[in-house]
Amino acid sequence: MKLTEDDIYRRSTQYLHWSFTAAQLAAQRLKTNIQAAERVKAAVARQRAARALKTETPNASGSENASQNGANTPLPPPDREVDCLTMAEEKRLVDNFCEKALELGDFLKLPIEVTATGVQFMRRFYLLNSPMTYEPNQISRTAIFIASKAEGHHLPVAHYAASLPKTKPEDILAPEYLITQALRFHYEVRHPFRGLKGGHLEMMAMAAGKATLPPNIPQDRDPRALQQAMLELPRRPGGPASAMSEKELEKRITEAYGFASHILKNAALLTDAYFLYTPSHIWLSAHLLADEPLTLLYLSTKCPPSNPMHAKLLTTLRSCAALLSSHHSFHPASQTEEEKAARDKKDQVELKALMKKLRLCRDPDKTNLVKLNQAQKRDAVENGELEENKRKKRKIAREQYEKEADDFFGPSLSKKENENAS
Amino acid sequence: MSKPAARGPSNANSKDGEICPVCKSSRYLNKHMKFLINPECYHKMCESCVDRIFSHGPAPCPIAGCKRTLRKVKFREQRFEDLKVEREVDIRRRVAAVFDKTEDDFETLRDYNDYLETVEEITWNLILKIDVEATEKKLRQYEAAQKAERNIQAQTYQPDPSLPSDTAQVVLKKSAAQRRAQGNPTGNTPDPASGAGNGQQTEPGLRFKGLKKYVPPPPEAPFDPFDGWAIEPQYYVTQNDYDVEWLTRAINDPLHIGGGYDMRDFYSWALCDAFSGFGVFVEDGKDVEMADVF
Repeated sequence: MKLTEDDIYRRSTQYLHWSFTAAQLAAQRLKTNIQAAERVKAAVARQRAARALKTETPNASGSENASQNGANTPLPPPDREVDCLTMAEEKRLVDNFCEKALELGDFLKLPIEVTATGVQFMRRFYLLNSPMTYEPNQISRTAIFIASKAEGHHLPVAHYAASLPKTKPEDILAPEYLITQALRFHYEVRHPFRGLKGGHLEMMAMAAGKATLPPNIPQDRDPRALQQAMLELPRRPGGPASAMSEKELEKRITEAYGFASHILKNAALLTDAYFLYTPSHIWLSAHLLADEPLTLLYLSTKCPPSNPMHAKLLTTLRSCAALLSSHHSFHPASQTEEEKAARDKKDQVELKALMKKLRLCRDPDKTNLVKLNQAQKRDAVENGELEENKRKKRKIAREQYEKEADDFFGPSLSKKENENAS
Repeated sequence: MSKPAARGPSNANSKDGEICPVCKSSRYLNKHMKFLINPECYHKMCESCVDRIFSHGPAPCPIAGCKRTLRKVKFREQRFEDLKVEREVDIRRRVAAVFDKTEDDFETLRDYNDYLETVEEITWNLILKIDVEATEKKLRQYEAAQKAERNIQAQTYQPDPSLPSDTAQVVLKKSAAQRRAQGNPTGNTPDPASGAGNGQQTEPGLRFKGLKKYVPPPPEAPFDPFDGWAIEPQYYVTQNDYDVEWLTRAINDPLHIGGGYDMRDFYSWALCDAFSGFGVFVEDGKDVEMADVF
């Protein structure tokens, strides 16, 4: 009847439904991409056929297209096959939009937990849907709105919509259920932020020589010796042992915390880290990137090298660290400003091309989410004849109910008066 | 005494219950007349008589020859037509409240039957008014012994008021004149017999062969909302205090302190977050058994 920390994580939806091995993740993305591409092609073919039928009345068909597609998504030229996005391109686009969502969160001054959850919602959503089907801009706004609710940061929809350019509350609410469904109603995202704080607290206690070490893990040092070992830690991996004062050590730990925190708030959110690793591994890898000797010493108190898990843990942490450092928001000291600027510029050009490509391969059925949402609701007056039938049926049913009620209770008084008056 | 209708002045009339023996008004004149009885003496009288005589406190029964003091609260409607039955039911209820053993409390069926036999004997003694005083004493002693054994607040046994017994005399507080009329000068002084009864509590009056020893039910365990589950951290020990600069503001924040926020909650939360998933490797694939649970 005892639960360990690991048991708690194993029971979370993040682990049960949203953790994948790299191969599973790639397979899922490929599947989504293929399905979306097929749908786009089928939808475009349908539209072309419809357009071919109406060649005699080009005006009518043009207006219909405009109404169905929205203003900014023209159909690809009719003579060419639709050029759909590949899986890698999709991922690139989603990453880019996640970055934009982060900026949006900064702009709205939302707490990082809300933005981070919103970004993870987006990433989870685009694991099952393609940007070709649903436009990432619309989705990101709503994802952040849902995240604000999931994280308990109250944000009225009217207020939220007003703080975004050219957005009405309906635009925010339209894809809400769609995203919720794609998330399979799992609103909990386990972030590594608080874990990092916990680790920081412990390291500070160790630096002060006051740490309480877990009794069930064999320790080769007592708290005093641990403090001494920390003071003698080399500045960089493999470097000479240093002799820091306690103050210097505390400063070093705080700096490492700041750097790791920055990684967690950027690179960790914008890569697949949340899918591939547990939050505990994520913050430890970020800390590993920030200060390797310190993190390794800290790890040795939790999982001594004699433990069979140690080697595996280190491999996992290093691969996670490699993933985090591969992101462009992470710039090591070796990279100069010019190099970074050049790379960013290259990225910009590539992204622009991708956006253009995306605009040509949007799924024409799913462009207007507001309209789709309305059509799903009751009493939607959308498709003329069918709705007319429905309305008639409902009217008949209503009249029948009224008649039955009148037979039982007698007709209502006001009705009688009206009849008398007429 | 238990047949007031036969002895009452109304027995000349053809139908019992049609005429009130006290005020002589008949149902013919008052359709909604209701007859009440008091389990002290089981004399019938109409509702208006009860109101008239007893609304100012306890008073003696107005039926000639009956000296019992009645109270208004005890008056009730008759449940059985035959007042004998009514009385027997009352007695049986009282005795059953004291002798409440079941077959499971006895070693053998034979012992249980013996017990039932004894109880029935006591009941019939009371009903037929044979050796009432001794029987009542037995009952009281047995109840006291039971109570002492179970050590719980059981309902106290009240002796049958319709039987002449030493404790059945009611103290009248209405007026001195009434007290004198009652002819009961002992007044407020506590009954010596009841005191003696209390003194005898240690000596159980009745013993039943084969009665199992009373085992008190085990005390109820305190409610555990987690059903025995607890979090036992593997990788950390939460300290009571951490000396970190960015925490000082939260620790000293009057809003936090006033709200009763315990910083240790945050420490254990943060540390639990830090290591939840420490030993979980996603690349190994999931434990299918766990996934099935949800």
